Amino acid sequence: MNEKSSALPKAHVGKSYFSWLLWLIPIAAALLCAWFVAQDIIFAGPTVTIYFENADGLQEHNSLVKYRGVKVGEVGTLKLSKDRQRVAVKVQLDASAANIARQGSVFWIVRPEVKLGALSGLQTIVSGNYIAVEPGNDARTNQFIGAEKAPIKEVKALDILLLAPKLGSLQPQSPVFYRDIQVGEVLDCRLSDDAREVVIHARIREEYAPLVRMNSKFWNAGGINIHIGLFSGANISAESAQTLISGGIEFATPPDFQTAATNGAVFSLNEKSDDDWEKWSPAIPLTSVPEAMTN
Amino acid sequence: MEKLVACQTCGLVQEVDDIPKDSVIKCARCHFQIFHRRVDSRVRTLAFSIAALILYIPANLYPIVTAEYQGQHIQTTIFQGISSLFTLHQYFIGSLMFCTSILTPGLKIIGLIFITLTLDWPHWKKARTWIFKIIRIVDPWNMLEVFLLAICVSMVELGEIATIHPGRGVFSFAAVVVLTLLATLSFDSRLLWDSPAERKL
Repeated sequence: MNEKSSALPKAHVGKSYFSWLLWLIPIAAALLCAWFVAQDIIFAGPTVTIYFENADGLQEHNSLVKYRGVKVGEVGTLKLSKDRQRVAVKVQLDASAANIARQGSVFWIVRPEVKLGALSGLQTIVSGNYIAVEPGNDARTNQFIGAEKAPIKEVKALDILLLAPKLGSLQPQSPVFYRDIQVGEVLDCRLSDDAREVVIHARIREEYAPLVRMNSKFWNAGGINIHIGLFSGANISAESAQTLISGGIEFATPPDFQTAATNGAVFSLNEKSDDDWEKWSPAIPLTSVPEAMTN
Repeated sequence: MEKLVACQTCGLVQEVDDIPKDSVIKCARCHFQIFHRRVDSRVRTLAFSIAALILYIPANLYPIVTAEYQGQHIQTTIFQGISSLFTLHQYFIGSLMFCTSILTPGLKIIGLIFITLTLDWPHWKKARTWIFKIIRIVDPWNMLEVFLLAICVSMVELGEIATIHPGRGVFSFAAVVVLTLLATLSFDSRLLWDSPAERKL
């Protein structure tokens, strides 16, 4: 026995190093987890709740919040509010967009819209509806009431009111023309407080605002005018292809023009023009506005 | 105390003296490392298992893929993927995915930690052996992780239509797979029936 075992070779003994290195593996795993959590905490902006009357087209954990076309947040959960009147949309804002969570921010849902003469939100047909935001500047808050539609942008422009007996073919986004050039558009239409007239809210672009004088005349330029005379034959005219379907407003300013109209000036909208209105051609200097200033 | 150890590389049977702490023994012929019991088996198994257990959490909580498809972006965790298989009435594949991706890795990690921690305890020797037996039986089924990779590949193949980003979940999950593999590999099953005195050697 002894002989046999002594015949066997002896194994070498060497030093082993770095067995403690093994514990770096669980430590690295823990650090990785900590990094994930830290990223979630540090790189996540505030969570805000937006109450919409209708969250149609939004998808949980999927829809985006965009500002100027760039993603600033994600929709989390959609829940019915306790009174069942609204939908509470939880939104996780990005850290870079944390400043959006301020009072005065307006959120609305962008949906595809097809109106006569205007298409909007077409990209949402493919990409799904998303929430757009117009940031405010007041104190921080986490609760918002969602707007039904995009807010009317505060731009430098002339806002005027037109009173008409009936609306005709006018609708929001109908154009306003001066010498057949579009200088503005209708923002919205409503009934007057006593329901006797229609109030049309029109906006004239800033660079064309001097054209509107207190004694300017407005008339409905929509539809087709058909004159059939014995000697002149049939004369069919329309202001433009767009007015054919969406209606429009034309105006003219007399040569003895008065002071420029101010915001909120009220005019009456005539059903059609007098022949001499269209012959008026006063010289009104237009102040050119640099492109960057118009918005 | 002298022992006879056969080298696993060249098969040479040789005598091994008492080994001082923090040292390794090498084959007299081929100089590969030889051992009576796997070196640091217990500590290694424990370290790998704990690391796997830690990463098991993000693997299941974080999305494995973020797919951007027609402007929508969809994040899916392992569990969401499985439950969507169930809603598609793919019960068999769904259960298979659940077992191989969530159930067995979790049980394996917990089982290994249990075995290594209670090894010195004289009781439950049978239970430990059984647990190890089950881990050994279940182990090959974890190769079904390959299925998960197949899914990932098919999603990447969809690259023309959809943009696929791997999420944090899939990295953690891959780490869990590797770590559990290393943990079972480094566990020397002979420790299960060694007496505490023998184990000290």
